[in-house]
Amino acid sequence: MEKKGGLMKWLDDRLAITQLWKVMMSEYYLPKNINFLWSFGVLTMLVFVILVITGIFLLMYYKPDAKLAFDSVNKTIMMDVAYGWVFRHTHAVAASIMFLVLYIHMARGIYYGSFKPPREVVWITGYILFVLMSATAFTGYLLPWGQMSYWAAQTITTLFEKIPFIGPDLVIWIRGNYIVADATLTRFFALHVTLLPALILVFTAVHMYAVRIVGSNNEDGIPLSKEEKKEKGIPFWPVFISKEFFVMSVFLLFFFYLVFFNYDFAMDPINFQPANYLQTPPHIYPEWYFLAYYEVLRGFFFSQNLGLIAFVASMFIALFLPWLDRSPIVSGKHRPLFRFMWWIFVADFLFLTILGKLPPTGFYAWLGFVGAIVFFVFFFSLPIISAIEKKQVASGGKQ
Amino acid sequence: MKELKILLILVVIVLIGYWGIEPLAHSIMHADIEKAIEEYHLPDFKFSDLPDPKVNPGDPAKGKEAVKMFCTSCHGVKVEGIKAPMDPKTAAASFGVVPPDLSNIAAVLDEKFLINFLVNPQKATENPKFAMPALGLNEQQAADITAYLKGIAKKHMTPKEKLVEACVRCHSVKYQKIYAKTPAENLKKYLGKVPPDLSVIYKAKGEEYLQAFINRPSKILNGTKMPRVGLDKESQEEIIGYLEKIADPHKEQRKKVGLYVLLYMLVMIGLTYAWKKKIWKNVH
Repeated sequence: MEKKGGLMKWLDDRLAITQLWKVMMSEYYLPKNINFLWSFGVLTMLVFVILVITGIFLLMYYKPDAKLAFDSVNKTIMMDVAYGWVFRHTHAVAASIMFLVLYIHMARGIYYGSFKPPREVVWITGYILFVLMSATAFTGYLLPWGQMSYWAAQTITTLFEKIPFIGPDLVIWIRGNYIVADATLTRFFALHVTLLPALILVFTAVHMYAVRIVGSNNEDGIPLSKEEKKEKGIPFWPVFISKEFFVMSVFLLFFFYLVFFNYDFAMDPINFQPANYLQTPPHIYPEWYFLAYYEVLRGFFFSQNLGLIAFVASMFIALFLPWLDRSPIVSGKHRPLFRFMWWIFVADFLFLTILGKLPPTGFYAWLGFVGAIVFFVFFFSLPIISAIEKKQVASGGKQ
Repeated sequence: MKELKILLILVVIVLIGYWGIEPLAHSIMHADIEKAIEEYHLPDFKFSDLPDPKVNPGDPAKGKEAVKMFCTSCHGVKVEGIKAPMDPKTAAASFGVVPPDLSNIAAVLDEKFLINFLVNPQKATENPKFAMPALGLNEQQAADITAYLKGIAKKHMTPKEKLVEACVRCHSVKYQKIYAKTPAENLKKYLGKVPPDLSVIYKAKGEEYLQAFINRPSKILNGTKMPRVGLDKESQEEIIGYLEKIADPHKEQRKKVGLYVLLYMLVMIGLTYAWKKKIWKNVH
């Protein structure tokens, strides 16, 4: 980018691409004390690109019609189109792995305090991206029109019924019918391929812009000043990206192993039976990435309303992290109390995920209740921990 | 070093999660099926729940006479020039399901099962509403008929032919353009619903379930309308092999392409690592 040829100069005069390249890449400095977990942001973009590309090819053969959808996926794409199965497997596995990457990215952000001032906008746009991605996954899961597609959509849309006053009408409005039917499939398809990915692009742009303004956090949570950055930091291009490419390659090895040799977790066997509104499968469960929230919903097995409130709260409470945790100490590395609670939260999330797929009966129901409570304990412990740490800092004990 | 530690923790967490949502969840959700498989030793190709017939070796000549007397008022036997008395539509409307032509039926059925079936169809199929009535045959007559049917049946059938012989009176396999011989509305009346299409059933159910379910439907799926068909071991395995092949036609291609892609990624790991080394040499 340094040498300017004819075309480069022409473009530079009109679009200031040299300046743009500097701001975005070669003079965007990151601290040195970051580990490979900081590579997961770019990994989410890689997975998103994989999803878009495979999605476009699937779009060429997929038929969003209740009568045709199942066969267009399982016959046309999986059997007739040359290498159609690669695109479907890759799309399905990428959708699943997107959430693994997102959860690691978010957990890293929470652990090292990357949501704290001045990075609130980074956190909020990131959280909106997570919600958008969830909506995209949920709408996309209906499209193969298998039994689990159908009944997952049926179950989750039914939840809206409990909203006071407008609930029952809202459910019909969402479905376009009294039950999940052709109209639901078509509108989910429309959202899945147009509005939601477009919004994801917009928020990704804002997210990245915001990161470039406030800079990356680091393991110690101590920011570099502008002068320090050039001295002590590493430029995004080529230093950080050279490591990123290595992480990407390792990730892709794992990813393609799943695509070709271990894809069952992303393509539920039950979904190879066509949707049948007369026959409820014995076990209905969402994809693994929603199981924790689903288990919070089921955890309050004695009250549906309470469960629903908890469900919604569990999905959105993390959005308010910058205001729940106001401790002056940024990184979990220097916060033993916080670190302790963080590990409990991670263990609990894992616990809820595993429990979410098991039948909600007897002992499991009570375990679910305990798990759901612990989920919120983390968030409500944050103001208390903050208060304790504020005192410590004021008395000069730390940092 | 520290990064490897972080990676190790990540891997452990992911593996625990995977163990929970796949093997653990499935073992708990399918506990009743596993229990039935263990309790009844499924697939049980000895049909141990049925009595061993106490008979002399079947006599095909007597069997032929018995078939003419007892069977041909409903069934055809094409290879012997005996046509079915009714066309399939009328037969389906009268009986609920099209009665099979008997030419090759014995090629897929177990001998012991067939003898028991001829004596008491409802008991052998474990389906009280099975369309064929008991005809009052004794065990010896049943053995004679069985010997005769075994004699006329084709000795070599492809897995696909076996599937058509055994399953296609009720099931369609539409991705293979194979359609059930009995019209859907008759099946609905006879069985309460149209039985599932078999095109990708292997992916939905898997080998273990199919082996057990086809062998003894009522013990795996309580209240199922599918009768026990009494396939012999070889036929059942060939049919399930065929179901796998049609449900997953690109298995070989997948393995091959998968291997190439993984090898390519290994090369990429080497290249990107070398580049990273080169760039970071000047950093510290």
